Amino acid sequence: MIAWLIRRLLVATGVTVVVVALVFFLVNAVGDPAVATLGPNAGPEQIADFERKNGLDEPVLQQFASYLGVVPCVRDASPVAAEGGHCGLLQGDFGDSFSHNEPVSTVIAHRLPRTLLLGVVAMIFELIFGLGVGILAAVRRNTWIDTGLMALAFLGISLPSFVTGPLFLSWFGFRFGWFPLGGYGVDFWDHVYHSILPAFTLAIIGAATYARVMRGELVETLRSDFVRTAAAKGLPPSRVVGHAIRNALLPVVTLFGLSLPLLVAGAIITEKIFGWPGMGSLAIESIVNLDAPTVMGVVVVFAIAVQVGNLLADVAVALLDPRVRVEKSG
Amino acid sequence: MHRRYERLGCAALALLGAAGSIAFAFFLPDPPEAPRWVGAGAQTPQVGGTFVFHHEANVRSLDPHVAYDELSGMAIRLMFDGLLDYDHESNLVPSLAEAMPAVSEDGRTFRFRLRRGVRFHPMAGHPEGRELVAEDVRWSMLRLMSQDVGSPGYPFYASIEGADAYHEGNADDVAGIRVIDRYTIELQLKEADQTFLNAMAMPFAYPVPRENYEHWGDEVKFHPVGTGPFVFEAWERGVQLTFVRNERYWREKPGPERMLYLENIGRELAAQRFRNGDIDSIHRQSPSDYRFFKTSEAWRPYMVEEPRGSTYGLGFNCEMAPFDDVHVRRAIAFALDREGWSRARAGRLLPASQLLPPSIPGYDPELPTRQVFDLERAREEMRLAGHPDGLPEPITVWITGQDDTSRQYGELLQSDLARIGIDVRLRFVSFAVYLTESGKPNTVPAFFTGWNLDFPDPSNFLFLFDQKSIHPEHSENRSFYRNPEVDRLLAEGKSERDRERRLGLYRQANEIVARDAPWAFLYYTLTMELWQPYVRNYDPHPVWSEDYREVWLDLPRERVARSLAGVGGPVPARFYPMGALR
Amino acid sequence: MDPRAWRRFRKNKGALFGGVLVLFVTLTAMLGPLLASHDPNEQFRDTLIADDGTLAGIGQIAGHLLGADGIGRDHLSRLLHGGSISMLVAYFATALAIAIGTFAGITAGYFGGFVDTLWMRGVDLLLSLPFLLVAIALVRVIDDPALWVLVLMMALLSWTTLARVTRAKTMQVRELEFIQAARALGMSHTRILFRHVLPNVLGPIIVLGTTLVARMILFESALSFLGLGVQPPQASWGSMLQEGQALLDATPRLMLLPAALITMTVFGFNLLGEGLRDAFDPKD
Repeated sequence: MIAWLIRRLLVATGVTVVVVALVFFLVNAVGDPAVATLGPNAGPEQIADFERKNGLDEPVLQQFASYLGVVPCVRDASPVAAEGGHCGLLQGDFGDSFSHNEPVSTVIAHRLPRTLLLGVVAMIFELIFGLGVGILAAVRRNTWIDTGLMALAFLGISLPSFVTGPLFLSWFGFRFGWFPLGGYGVDFWDHVYHSILPAFTLAIIGAATYARVMRGELVETLRSDFVRTAAAKGLPPSRVVGHAIRNALLPVVTLFGLSLPLLVAGAIITEKIFGWPGMGSLAIESIVNLDAPTVMGVVVVFAIAVQVGNLLADVAVALLDPRVRVEKSG
Repeated sequence: MHRRYERLGCAALALLGAAGSIAFAFFLPDPPEAPRWVGAGAQTPQVGGTFVFHHEANVRSLDPHVAYDELSGMAIRLMFDGLLDYDHESNLVPSLAEAMPAVSEDGRTFRFRLRRGVRFHPMAGHPEGRELVAEDVRWSMLRLMSQDVGSPGYPFYASIEGADAYHEGNADDVAGIRVIDRYTIELQLKEADQTFLNAMAMPFAYPVPRENYEHWGDEVKFHPVGTGPFVFEAWERGVQLTFVRNERYWREKPGPERMLYLENIGRELAAQRFRNGDIDSIHRQSPSDYRFFKTSEAWRPYMVEEPRGSTYGLGFNCEMAPFDDVHVRRAIAFALDREGWSRARAGRLLPASQLLPPSIPGYDPELPTRQVFDLERAREEMRLAGHPDGLPEPITVWITGQDDTSRQYGELLQSDLARIGIDVRLRFVSFAVYLTESGKPNTVPAFFTGWNLDFPDPSNFLFLFDQKSIHPEHSENRSFYRNPEVDRLLAEGKSERDRERRLGLYRQANEIVARDAPWAFLYYTLTMELWQPYVRNYDPHPVWSEDYREVWLDLPRERVARSLAGVGGPVPARFYPMGALR
Repeated sequence: MDPRAWRRFRKNKGALFGGVLVLFVTLTAMLGPLLASHDPNEQFRDTLIADDGTLAGIGQIAGHLLGADGIGRDHLSRLLHGGSISMLVAYFATALAIAIGTFAGITAGYFGGFVDTLWMRGVDLLLSLPFLLVAIALVRVIDDPALWVLVLMMALLSWTTLARVTRAKTMQVRELEFIQAARALGMSHTRILFRHVLPNVLGPIIVLGTTLVARMILFESALSFLGLGVQPPQASWGSMLQEGQALLDATPRLMLLPAALITMTVFGFNLLGEGLRDAFDPKD
């Protein structure tokens, strides 16, 4: 188990570094961030100055090495650059955002909790609606309730957020006036209130997926021998179902782990539609503004989250199901 | 066996659901047609209430030396004052200066006397604020010009004696900035510059207190301190900024207790929130919202539509084929159905015939060389260019932005130029890429472009076609248009002190530029601004966009912005002013 | 195709219904441009504002079955042409993704070892990329995305699931006796892969391919919705959605119709894919 975990961690680190490298070269091939930042009336000397401060005048390979933190800092603006210090990821330094005038880590520190809030609310919706619908459909399998719920779930996986988002806003925000028309609110409960519509938009696909998986697994489990035996032995039906649900949760947990990174990366389209100031809108804003350090910051956070999510999912599955552990370590 | 029924049921139900939700969409409650709330009917300025406004994007900085965009400006003008300001007729008027400066005979020396008793907002070390003195003005100007700060506004002040030496780090002081006494400061220029006073009214020149900068260091952009009518309160990055009323303001005291500036609210959402009564003023609408407000009787009294000091057009690189031929450029200029464009944008574009917009002195509606839609002349110009049947190759036009609006403009252009046999390929780029690339010679053949005034003077537009504005990179003259006659007129205009003579020179230049068509001028924008009935004394400013310094709210004292009380939903009665219209 | 699978599929009315939807949309996409009554790009600007200056409601133009859009283009014709573009992009991108994914999957599963590791690391890599973010960044780098660039990009980002499934299936097939026998007889790898392995992994490929079309439609719509997909004046359902969103309250049909079409098409492909899976891999 330990050996497997270590190998797994090493691979995760490797993949993360390659992803960061890929996106670094991709992002640094774009446009001229100096002008994007300084505006149309900036003179050539200001631009040269900006490029020096941010290390944009160095070869891209050296920029990348400096970004990782393995060679001395090339960004003259960094306080450690003068004495030849390092200012890269290894030092926990994401660089300075061009368009926000502050360190990328600060920008992300502002945005991440908001995206997490939206993600958590969405996840709660997903689990409540998804598992609820799935269990109900499985218990009432092959009735019209089952059919109807599964039809809804099927529609759910076919409904993209760029269709539902604007519609929900227009219907429940503007026409009925039940929910805020975008934005983020002022205190915690206001944030939660503001997050309901976007979270629901986000949750539709997830809930539908959970519902389908849950129903499928639960139907199988209910049909399996041990459940039949339990029922035959006279266990009350509610406890039989409870038993079965516990056994059917395994794939749901895997799915849950795989969806964790989405919690962090934010939802580009939904955040854009609802004006939610999280990681998703940060990503698209910084791509539009050619704010390379911020784009990189978002990607790094996402890549790490994916690896952590996968790892957690694997560990959870291993803990829940001993058979998997044997296979994996073998 | 049961499965097939299940699937069939699935399909049927899901389709039913889809059809149902579409039907649902047609039976929704109607959106509000009229303002939700009216004022209490007060006739004299009232104190109190929260004024809520918004912008589509993020505010980046509240440091007046660094910020150079419209949305930061909206916030900065609430908190700072300049030595000079503009009145509602675009005239320069004294603000922190006691009077307009005394100008020396040669037009190179300006002596400002400061108003006494003006206080900065409370700040670290000065809980009661402190008085503004001439040394503050000097220190602020020096900071603005230092290379470390890297202010984009530096070029406007480079004509001050000794500015370049200081900027490059060869001097510790700027020779041309002299503090005469506690309230008097003198600025001296290398050569006469008729637009220098305009520069002194720009936000870059707003005086700031040194202590605050020393206390906060790099963080100062989040802790602005000025002398203006509102004091900075809080900024939740990417969400909103709040400002509170400056009780000690030296001029007429402001009205609202608090200003709430929402960031990141798109124009469609803002219009809906405005109609629901959550936002107090909006200044930008999608075509459909524009149509709604334009045709709404109920909103008419609370709306003004005015041209802005900006000109938009299709720029050509005059050094690149086929636009090196003046006839091709003129053909395109005559082929643009500007009225049709305006129809497609709900009538809100004012067809442009020349560089200078109507609000700028020098604009001439009867300009002999004005550009108008005339297909016959367009075809004639194509014949003169030797292409009676159109251009053999498609032209590439750069356009900034990726939204539905830029897409529509591109499609309008494609449709118009097809009529004179020109095929248009569109290239969508970000604003930044457009700026960099179009500033290099022989790179961008044609591009959608525009200019928004920094100050209301024709020189601020015409310098776009000066040869001096051509550089190997970052040219402001993106057309690479070279005409010695225009250069001469502009050089003379810069130092000419007689206003009429000066305007005459710019008129001539304007006429030549319209004839040579380095741009095909497209439109001047018409800005529609709306406010709630209880917002009083809002008069859109000709120079400053969205200047809310003078508004007051005709409200019961307790009105809280709904965005503070949780937006949407029925609002408790105490938030209603006198009673809703409906 | 396995005759039993076909029989099972035929009995599944839901899947048949999905198939009919798919067939309908595909046919409309192919014939749509012929059915359109107007040039989808012709702008009837004069009707947008009456001569006396009053503003007509958006989309209310006589002589157009479904009215017109914001700059006066026939909505129905644009829907038909747009559908054809959307489907074209989705089909081509899917075909390409299937080609890449299948190749990756069968080589990885068949050869194992280094080849396998290489492909699977590639899959891991792609899966830990923020998908849409990378697509947006790519479009910005390319700057002037022609349709085929779009197709290529979508395919390159979408072959991973297919590769995984094909690999797993190939690993099973590889151990079958007749393949072991073929190998012992000295048959070349290429021949084994194409003659014996490929036909045996076709089932999952067809199933996944079908749902992949649905995902590609969503992908293209998402990009076009963000203004980064097909280029003007060409219409696609996604770009019509983007243009219609601003007019949702004034003229709902400008957004609702492309929205409904996207949803219906995706729904159809999902349904068909589900039915195919049941047919190939019966559980009951």
